[in-house]
Amino acid sequence: MARRVGPLSRLGGSWWMWVGALAALIVLALAPTYLLLESEQRTLGSVFMFVVLAQGWNLIGGFAGYPSFGNVVFFGLGGYTTAILMAKARAGFWITLPAAGLVGLLFAVLMGIPILRLRGHYFAIATLGVAEGMREVVINTGGLTGGNKGITVPAVGAEATTSYPGNTGFYYMFLVLAVVTMAVVWAVARSRFGYSLRAISQDEDAAAAAGINTTRAKIAAFALAGLLTALAGAIFAFQQVTIYPDRLFAVDTTVLMVVMAVIGGAGTVVGPMIGAVALQYLSEWLRDNFTDYHTFVFGGIIVLAVLLMPMGLVNFTREAWQQRRIALLDATRRYRL
Amino acid sequence: MTEFLQSTVYGLLDGGLLALFAIGFSLVWGVMNIVNLAHGAFVVTGAYIAWKLNTAMGLDPYLGMFVAAVAMFAGGYIVQRLLINQVVNAPIWMTLLLTFGLDLLIVNGLILLFTADFRVIQTGIGSKGLALGDVRIPYERLVGFGVALAVTVLLVWFMNRTRTGLAIRTTGMDRAAARLMGVSVRHVYALTFGIAAGLAAMAGAIIGTINTFSPASAPQFTLQSFVIAVLGGLGNMWGALAGGLTLGLVQAWGGQYLSGTLVNAIAFGVLVLVLIVRPAGLVGRPYYEARAEA
Repeated sequence: MARRVGPLSRLGGSWWMWVGALAALIVLALAPTYLLLESEQRTLGSVFMFVVLAQGWNLIGGFAGYPSFGNVVFFGLGGYTTAILMAKARAGFWITLPAAGLVGLLFAVLMGIPILRLRGHYFAIATLGVAEGMREVVINTGGLTGGNKGITVPAVGAEATTSYPGNTGFYYMFLVLAVVTMAVVWAVARSRFGYSLRAISQDEDAAAAAGINTTRAKIAAFALAGLLTALAGAIFAFQQVTIYPDRLFAVDTTVLMVVMAVIGGAGTVVGPMIGAVALQYLSEWLRDNFTDYHTFVFGGIIVLAVLLMPMGLVNFTREAWQQRRIALLDATRRYRL
Repeated sequence: MTEFLQSTVYGLLDGGLLALFAIGFSLVWGVMNIVNLAHGAFVVTGAYIAWKLNTAMGLDPYLGMFVAAVAMFAGGYIVQRLLINQVVNAPIWMTLLLTFGLDLLIVNGLILLFTADFRVIQTGIGSKGLALGDVRIPYERLVGFGVALAVTVLLVWFMNRTRTGLAIRTTGMDRAAARLMGVSVRHVYALTFGIAAGLAAMAGAIIGTINTFSPASAPQFTLQSFVIAVLGGLGNMWGALAGGLTLGLVQAWGGQYLSGTLVNAIAFGVLVLVLIVRPAGLVGRPYYEARAEA
């Protein structure tokens, strides 16, 4: 089949994909003015935030195949960097935001150097241990972080270092961050760096033998995840005004990142985004319709999703499209004992 | 000094119970390379079974714990056979996700059935205890520790001396070779998972007689299992016992001498350090390669 040649072909993908993305972006950019209520902007803002978090996990867990169970540590560090700088050093939010990103990046590098030497479950547990340990450190350094009582960002009145942007402001912040994140992941996926990550995920020893500096690639992926996740945490902290260690370092947040990325399609560009959108709206819908047992139903959906489409929605749809048949149990046949 | 002795005794007695539920977790991880995030939920379920039998039918919890163990053995066998076996060969986050989904199902199912209230199982020997000088040893904890120790020894005997136990260990060492020797891996995996669930339920029933519990206690038990399994080395039963006693002591001493939850921070610090320096655990060697350079 002849490829359509045009100005977009250098970007890869097909032209209708880019037109669709652009159209979606325009709609999303105009939506707060014309379409959405304040509460809907808030919901959509949190969807965007989870797109960022799921993509952060996707970089290290999906592309490099290192299943981090402690990515929330970057989220928490980003949030606390922002809150502490705003509350104690009285810095403006636009100064604390890059600072938070930097903290996330540096912490990922420092943590990655020893921990990325571990593989498989050991890596998962070590990252989980770091995240839980960091929460305890935050709880026990009350002088700086406010401990369990939380820390409040000066956001209203004369105290405020940056005026509180409201629901619409946060909608745009999360939207911009999500778009930047998508662009970053897309660029990574097409770059030499992205291919080396995929090689590591398939066979790390072979990747090293092929001349890939696996340590550097893994740490770079982890650092990128740390940076993006910390930025999301910073915005989240500002939005919440008062933050608590249990909320910002919740294991559940990490699990949500993993679930979203995996259900959408780990290691793909659009998968985690679809997973984030689908799951966030699904859990919203469950909360409205199954008030008492929405978490129960949610658990059942996770179990079913893993059994029926373990390769994620994106890969499942692609295969169904290419083979012209819906094969719900195919993946299970591949993975079962 | 009395304080120190008292917390040491409590730490060791609690450590035995920690070991009892962590052994199964370690076994599942070592033999099947599966980290079961629903393990803590099994512990809590065991506690609820014993509690329900006690409050509804007046069954003594020390008998109820066997009922709980048998019921959860069956439940664990079915879960592994029907669900987890289907994704055993998938990338590891699949099994992590699947067991996390199970955890949500069980924990929230328990909340729906029994509410989120804290419960405790009443025993006939409630507040009685043994006094050694100034140190007091409650009978409940002593009995619990004794049962935990006995079951651990029994399990080690089972794994090393019976054909079934050897089949489990063989499968953990080399699945393909085990198959060639005529071992039914599907059955063995399910059996291992069943044993783990049964032991967890038994430990849960005993823990329910000592401390209050609620469905929300589940993650804590899972996390403790992690720490113990890593400390002791995966699939290593004596290691799990040693790891359990160590964690019990660290927790008791930490609770006595450190403020707040700082002890948790230390526990996680130790965990990460052990993983980096000696991923095979403090005792024994791993079934699976852990380090990139190793």
